[in-house]
Amino acid sequence: MKRKYTLVGILIAGGLVGVQQVRADATTDAINDLKQQIQALDQKVRVLEREKELDTEAADAKAKDTPKIVVGEKGLSVSSADTNFVFQLHGLVQVDNRTFFGDRDNHDKSIQGNDGFLLRRARPIFSGTLYKDFDFMFVPDFGGSSVQIFDAYLNYRYAPWLQVRAGKFKVPVGLEQLQSDPVTYFNERALPTGLTPNRDIGFQLWGEVANGRLSYAAGIFNGVGDGRSTANADFEDHREFAGRIFLQPFRGTKVTALQNLGFGVGGSWGNVSSNATGLSSGFLTDGQETFFTYTNGVVAAGQHWRVSPQGYYYWGPFGLLGEYVISDQEVKKGAASADLQNTAWQIAAGWVLTGEDASYTGVTPRHPFNPRANQWGALQLVARYADLDVDDNAFPIFANPAASASEAKAWAVGLNWYLNKNIRVNTSFSRTTFEGKLNPTVATVARQPEEVVFTRVQLSF
Amino acid sequence: MRQFTNFQLQQRMKIFLKTFVVLLAMSVAAYAPAKEIKLLNVSYDPTRELYQDINTAFAKQWKDKTGDTVIVQQSHSGSGKQARAVIDGLEADVVTLALAYDIDAIADKSGLIAKDWQKRLPNNSTPYTSTIVFLVRKGNPKGIKDWDDLIKPGVAVVTPNPKSSGGARWNYLAAWGYALKKNNNSEAKAKDFVTKLFRNVPVLDTGARGATTTFVQRGIGDVLIAWENEALLSLKDSPDKFEIVSPSISILAEPPVAWVDKVVKRHGTAEVAKAYLEFLYTPEGQEIAAKNFYRPRLQEVAQKYASQFPKLNLFTIDELFGGWQAAQKKHFDNDGIFDQIQLDNR
Repeated sequence: MKRKYTLVGILIAGGLVGVQQVRADATTDAINDLKQQIQALDQKVRVLEREKELDTEAADAKAKDTPKIVVGEKGLSVSSADTNFVFQLHGLVQVDNRTFFGDRDNHDKSIQGNDGFLLRRARPIFSGTLYKDFDFMFVPDFGGSSVQIFDAYLNYRYAPWLQVRAGKFKVPVGLEQLQSDPVTYFNERALPTGLTPNRDIGFQLWGEVANGRLSYAAGIFNGVGDGRSTANADFEDHREFAGRIFLQPFRGTKVTALQNLGFGVGGSWGNVSSNATGLSSGFLTDGQETFFTYTNGVVAAGQHWRVSPQGYYYWGPFGLLGEYVISDQEVKKGAASADLQNTAWQIAAGWVLTGEDASYTGVTPRHPFNPRANQWGALQLVARYADLDVDDNAFPIFANPAASASEAKAWAVGLNWYLNKNIRVNTSFSRTTFEGKLNPTVATVARQPEEVVFTRVQLSF
Repeated sequence: MRQFTNFQLQQRMKIFLKTFVVLLAMSVAAYAPAKEIKLLNVSYDPTRELYQDINTAFAKQWKDKTGDTVIVQQSHSGSGKQARAVIDGLEADVVTLALAYDIDAIADKSGLIAKDWQKRLPNNSTPYTSTIVFLVRKGNPKGIKDWDDLIKPGVAVVTPNPKSSGGARWNYLAAWGYALKKNNNSEAKAKDFVTKLFRNVPVLDTGARGATTTFVQRGIGDVLIAWENEALLSLKDSPDKFEIVSPSISILAEPPVAWVDKVVKRHGTAEVAKAYLEFLYTPEGQEIAAKNFYRPRLQEVAQKYASQFPKLNLFTIDELFGGWQAAQKKHFDNDGIFDQIQLDNR
């Protein structure tokens, strides 16, 4: 009986242990199942997070492929994502006032009636890039009395050092002539520009070598008279060759004081068959009055060459620009002919009173005009002296000494206020004196100096 | 009023010209010593570390040799994507891509590279090699030993997208080659095998480095099919987290290099670009490749690093696929086998 109880006790105990073991196994399995489910869910969450991350990366990459539209101080620019195609819209508007002194109480009436406001330049500027390497520019001008096309060219850029330009553009000779219109020191360029060609139609090989330390340009053009632009066609057989080499040897070096030193020489050579448009239409004063013209019947006939050594120097707020031009031209009137050599030079200096850096490409105000924030832009003081000397042999056959001066000397001072990168207000005073071949009492132009105050409000972007 | 005589003019011009020549000479002297050359190396995803080391060593060598400073800029992404970028205008002086097909594509579609580019440098312009291995988590919890284990249910495989990644194309072809060899060259069975493998891929990254990020940093998947160099690099960074499994058979990957003829001509960098790629074949360049876990071509360097690279049964792309052009057309072009596999797995 006792054994029976013992056996029953053992069986019961064994059964209890077995039940507990079964329960434990089931719990372990359940935990393992749960673990696996958690791991599977964890993987799913990780995958979802990674996919989201990859989607974000793809969206960012796609954004890089989206065309860009930029509106800012440099105008409007629309470009493809890879910047191989770019279209830009810029603009230049200059509203001037000229006030001449001493033109009312003097016996010389020739400079009366010149005071007033004028729309000096009003140019929408369309430029851009096609297929990465082709640049174009188209610049009409609505200022003045008629609409003109100033620039219209296509440029192929193989590399910065090898580019080809074709169309109508500035001939590479004069330093100030080549400077952009919105950034010249004064309203009008100085006397030497009257001896250099302006815009002409032709082809030009050009480029910048060694990160811009050396730039060169060599082209073939129709050929224009001194100070002239082409009238968009010229069927005179001869061509004019023009070229320029310009060095900025310390550009990008550690010699900061000389980084913006530049110097070079420009020149042209051409042969003109009897053609009046091969001559200057007249040399102009700062006030844009004509102080020299050839007489009727004078034509360019033969060689015409120009040489212009030139240079500039900018260091901090200080800027200095100078050029010298010789224009040598064979002329003819009837049976008379002569080789006339006209020369001009200028030296101009500027100082940015507010401390910004000066440069050939203008001044960028450190604090754009905002009176509410007590910001006033940048102020620049400028001064210039220039001289243009006409060949004495021009008188009296090729020029009338009673109507034309043989030399003009001009000095000017001015103040330029850069409200911001786009808006500039400037004022200046210019005085030009003349020398002539006749007594001043009978030489109409030479008998009194020109004194004029300029003001300008300019928008450029 | 003053009129110059011809003599006076000549004298003035002489003075001016002399001054100009002196200033010109000063200019040349001023910038000549400061010559700086920039190269852009457009490469595939996992070569960042390799070329960082190569660039430093080459720049030093070039400086010692010529006195000039070379700055090599790097660009990395999926190999196919990089080839497309160069075709579309990215101005690469040199390309160091994952596979020859991508450089062929640049040569064919853009004409920027001479078509005989592979003959210009030794070993078909492949200065180093690699292969495809498996990176698994420490302890190999899923017991992965060979390719067959990758198609088992419940095994998550990480590999990038063959449409954008050169490394992924090597992975795909390695798997295909294994299946072919195992099944008596049965294309149908190989396709079935690779279809099953890609069914186990939860995320398709665009490049090999992205796939490594998915596996290593994001903790996704059980096995990463990877370049051997990429797997060894991950192991070096985290030896307590991963293991490398070498499959019974794999593919010999030969990443090629080439200078981009038209770009180097335009940039004036032809000489330095060629020297840069030739440097990869020098003992110093080969040593750097080996240190970055690429199998060197130079025998003496290969022997020195033999313990790092186990001997594997490797087949080449020419042996099983008839070269890259054929492989690309059959498997990876639009409506190719990979596209069919993706459709089947949807």
